[in-house]
Amino acid sequence: MMLEIDRLTAGYGRVRVLHEVSLDVGEGEIVALVGPNGAGKSTLLRAVTAMIPDRSGTLVLAGRSLIGASVEAVAAAGVAHVPEGRRLFPGLTVRDNLRLGGWLGRNKDLAPVLEMFPVLGDRLSQVAGSLSGGEQQMCAIARALMSRPKLLLIDELSLGLAPLLVDEILARLGGIAAAGTGILLVEQDAGAALEVAHRGYVLELGEVVLAGTTAELAADPRMRSAYLGGEWEADAASEPGGT
Amino acid sequence: MSQFLQATVYGLLQGGLLALIAVGFSLVWGVMNVINLAHGAFVLVGAYLTFELNQRFGLDPFAAIVPVGIALFAAGYLVQRGLINMVVKAPIFITLLLTFGLELVLVNGLVLLYSGDYRSVTTGYAGDGFTLLTGVRVPLGRLLAAAVALAITLVLVAVMRHTRTGLAILATGMDRGAARLMGIRARHVYALTFGIATAMAGTAGAAVSAVGTFSPADAGRFTLFSFVAAVLGGLGNMYGALIGGIVLGLVEAWGGQLLPGTLVNAVAFGVLVVVLAVRPQGIAGRAFYASRVEV
Repeated sequence: MMLEIDRLTAGYGRVRVLHEVSLDVGEGEIVALVGPNGAGKSTLLRAVTAMIPDRSGTLVLAGRSLIGASVEAVAAAGVAHVPEGRRLFPGLTVRDNLRLGGWLGRNKDLAPVLEMFPVLGDRLSQVAGSLSGGEQQMCAIARALMSRPKLLLIDELSLGLAPLLVDEILARLGGIAAAGTGILLVEQDAGAALEVAHRGYVLELGEVVLAGTTAELAADPRMRSAYLGGEWEADAASEPGGT
Repeated sequence: MSQFLQATVYGLLQGGLLALIAVGFSLVWGVMNVINLAHGAFVLVGAYLTFELNQRFGLDPFAAIVPVGIALFAAGYLVQRGLINMVVKAPIFITLLLTFGLELVLVNGLVLLYSGDYRSVTTGYAGDGFTLLTGVRVPLGRLLAAAVALAITLVLVAVMRHTRTGLAILATGMDRGAARLMGIRARHVYALTFGIATAMAGTAGAAVSAVGTFSPADAGRFTLFSFVAAVLGGLGNMYGALIGGIVLGLVEAWGGQLLPGTLVNAVAFGVLVVVLAVRPQGIAGRAFYASRVEV
């Protein structure tokens, strides 16, 4: 396993947000983490990258424990985090943002990420703050990939983006995973996330309430009624024998 | 007319020196959100260190820029790492209190060691100069001080824009949390930034020692000028602080021609108020450090 989380508890000060969460991500695997607002999805990602220093349990990346490691050390261990709100460096150019992504490994080779997101190639000299929402999200993912991570964490990829654009960006994740990177994808839009993921976890009030392969989750009645709603009902209806 | 030109030349040269002081102050403010009230005290530490090197080893004040710069960098790095990093995420009042305390310690330390008397470092050439066609005199020492100040400032700006370390400093200033996610060690970057700023203050102090007299009581004045120049130029904008410093030098020189000496500071603040009323973002416009997000 690339990432193994076992009974992880984390929170802010005395407020516990995550209660003994167990979860794992394999090499080259896309894992979706879905659930309602405030379930602790973002907190889980922040706990992995030590942005919340207050955490306990088991957190192992490629055989190495990350409990007690600093944010910088987690990055050095091979975790790239596309945080909530993207957090690009707004006053710097797209080129500088990408170079900062490759800061640790001194990676200046932009070609692979520009091949994945060609639109960024036309924007290299533009400051990141002037990009459109979709371009910013692509830039944030490209910046994360510049570190050639073992594990990629993406928080709310679809937030504020048009559905077509979300599909376009999600479609790139398969290629990233195929190169061996494990991806943990936090999404509000459960339907979109499960379309690209191999497995998924449902988080509610800081606890994993449901886990399984994408097909298992899609078939689960609780999942269908709570998170997938009309979209998947419609898909099911269009299949032969569906109702 | 020639008196006005003389004041203008003097103001530009003095402004170059003020700019060197202000750029370091502005850098720390922009990157760390720390208003370093001890900045002027570091200028004087540099001046007295130069004085000491000159007295003991006969070292030329402009040659002393190198050892003074290195010593002040090291001191600044350690002060940030050991002291200011503890409060860097605290409310601004706490950082003001801490740097004000640091200023008191440094200034009174200097008074203890050197008394409050005015000192200067004399050279054989600083008083020499040449006369321009219009009858304006340019003293060599001041010209040299301004040239060194400008060169150091421009090198710093180039380093910030075009090197790996500079990029890390800018990124940390914009979004500390995101920079850490890139693997950039924010504590180290902060200490480096503070070290660069104190080194600039120290080298400015070496130049100050060569062109005039100084006493520990000048610390507050240098901090004040840095503050005005930094705000004039636009917060955290290094080119802005450079322009702000030069504007301040000119205002000071022109004001000195027309007004009694003690009113010159009032003129400087008058200009600050007018600029902020007309252009709240400062002379250089767009603030470089557009946003700041904490982890």
